[in-house]
Amino acid sequence: MASHLFGWLAVACYLAAEAAAILALVARRERFAWVTPALVAAGLALHFRDLLVRARALGSVPYRTLGGSVSLFGWMLGIAFLVLLLRHRERAIGPFLIPFIVLTTGVGMLLPDSASAPSQGTRGALFAFHVTLAILAYAAFTFSFVLSLLYLIQDRQLRRRTTGILFARLPALEVIGRMNRTSVSIGLGTLAASLVIGLVRAEMLWSSLADPKVAWALITVVVYGLLLWMERRGWEGPRSAVLSIVGFAVVMFSYTVVNVYFSPAHRFR
Amino acid sequence: MTSSGEARLLLLGWNFRTAALSVRERVAFSSDEVREALDRIRGEGLVSEGVIVSTCNRSEIYGVSDGSHTSSHLTRLISEWRGLDVREAEAGSFYREGRDAARHLFRVAAGLESLALGESEVLGQVRTALRLAREAGATRAVLHRMFETAVSAGKRVRTETEIARHPLSVAAIGFELATKVFGDMAERTVLVLGAGETGTLFAQQAAAAGVRDVRIANRSLPRAEELAARMGGRAVPWDALPRALPEADVVVGTTASAEPVVSRADVETAMRERRGRPVFFLDLAIPRDFEAGVGDLYNVYAYGLDDLREVAEENRRRRSREVPRAEEILEEELARFLAWFGNLAVVPTLNDLQARLAALRDTELERLPPKERERFRAFADAIASKLLHEPLRRLKAEPDASRKLDRVEAVRHLFDLDS
Repeated sequence: MASHLFGWLAVACYLAAEAAAILALVARRERFAWVTPALVAAGLALHFRDLLVRARALGSVPYRTLGGSVSLFGWMLGIAFLVLLLRHRERAIGPFLIPFIVLTTGVGMLLPDSASAPSQGTRGALFAFHVTLAILAYAAFTFSFVLSLLYLIQDRQLRRRTTGILFARLPALEVIGRMNRTSVSIGLGTLAASLVIGLVRAEMLWSSLADPKVAWALITVVVYGLLLWMERRGWEGPRSAVLSIVGFAVVMFSYTVVNVYFSPAHRFR
Repeated sequence: MTSSGEARLLLLGWNFRTAALSVRERVAFSSDEVREALDRIRGEGLVSEGVIVSTCNRSEIYGVSDGSHTSSHLTRLISEWRGLDVREAEAGSFYREGRDAARHLFRVAAGLESLALGESEVLGQVRTALRLAREAGATRAVLHRMFETAVSAGKRVRTETEIARHPLSVAAIGFELATKVFGDMAERTVLVLGAGETGTLFAQQAAAAGVRDVRIANRSLPRAEELAARMGGRAVPWDALPRALPEADVVVGTTASAEPVVSRADVETAMRERRGRPVFFLDLAIPRDFEAGVGDLYNVYAYGLDDLREVAEENRRRRSREVPRAEEILEEELARFLAWFGNLAVVPTLNDLQARLAALRDTELERLPPKERERFRAFADAIASKLLHEPLRRLKAEPDASRKLDRVEAVRHLFDLDS
């Protein structure tokens, strides 16, 4: 079992990034705006080293073990966070999103890493793409979920005339909505790509597409697709935030229950 | 006037806390009167420098003086000039000296002494006061430095604390709430109903905040057109309201209409046309301009005067919570100013100067062979003391307190004593 020194250093970086983000939010020190993204980036680099060690040991993308998969998920969350930050220049969301990076990365370090020898199904570039894209999609949907919660909180504060510190520091509804659209777009695109690659591989390996995971992925695509379509028609607002939360529930169900009980091809082995 | 020799800061003032309006309006000075007052008090030899801060809430005379009884002389001079009973003027006044006078100015500049805690207008008024006094030739080193420090302390307080952050006026609060829905307001459309005082105020505020599309609808079109022309907006004829409503992201009601001018059904129609995009209704009218229940519609955010006043009260409390932090900053700046001021006394400057010369002498002596040093040290000291004797005698003998401070300041500057 690896010691995960670099992984834990990454967790420390993420934690420091969270502290800096909270400090920036509360004290509004514009001068230190670069600290959080810099710490997250440093964390991602260290984290990547840890993932590399795992990948070498396994001979594949570290998805076959539970620990590796959760850790990779955390890494993708970090990537998605930086994308959101650079795209929207809105730092107030940091304190709400970074904890997910810390949590998943930390849990990834603690979970067991033992795995059997790589099978026919868990080798090759297509497998790597399939898994990586799927996890990036999950990461994007996770942030969409958090942003939707923030949207509903901010909406509620506006309606109840609660104008406390959280109200003052959270971005405007319009901005949260826009960030949510970015997240969902990333998620939808990568999930669709991962789905297609998965289907191609399944056809090549087993000549069969009969996997319950496929059905759930399609449901996910439909829910988030509907959401983007609604927003395009101008039906933005609390309702699309709720739909995004429903979408995330579907994602979580398919990530956990479907994986473990219904889809032999997606069980950790 | 009896001279005690040492220059003191002093402040004689009347403000909304101490003086009745009847006194305050007598001691309020226009720009020209400020100049005249400065001439008078300096002409009488009451102060050697002076600055007068005169706003609708306060009249404060700051000065540097080396005399005693200056406050009663000043009060008498002002009340005689303004035709005010001396006892009445005295009863409504307050007097501070030294550190307390400076501290008061710093508090004024920071908005701590304002009716609306932390308001920023007073900072400009303090700046203007300094400019007027400088133009009248009434300031020298001390008050100049004191006012400049006060202004920068006031700025620090406003950026480093939240004291000026939470808006207090209902229009500003309404605008801030709208910003929390839409984010950047520049590309939004603001529709103001009514071209009266409140409507004008809000339209101006929106334009000043960068909203490019401000529209004004009024029952009498010419008035709307006039206001629109003044601030680069657009006038909307009253009967075109149904068409204007769906295009507006923010709708502000300020009419004097006895009946609501926008019904719930109007808004429902408008929302269909907007395809549900959020809209913000701000009702600043009494009685209300928007029918009750408008705010229950999907993606409609509606606020009335009562909501805004509640927020204003909350914001006032938030500002007061920042006072201790503001005071800490002011004390820091005050200490810096007073340290500088304290150095302007002759004795510390003399000591600094002698130390500076001794250091110079020692550096030069280092270059000599050790056995020659003793002889040259005596020689150098003799020259230094002869050279300094006359300038220092004149400095000490200077009768005018402010001029003395100016000269001490010049000595400190020329010999680089403050680095």
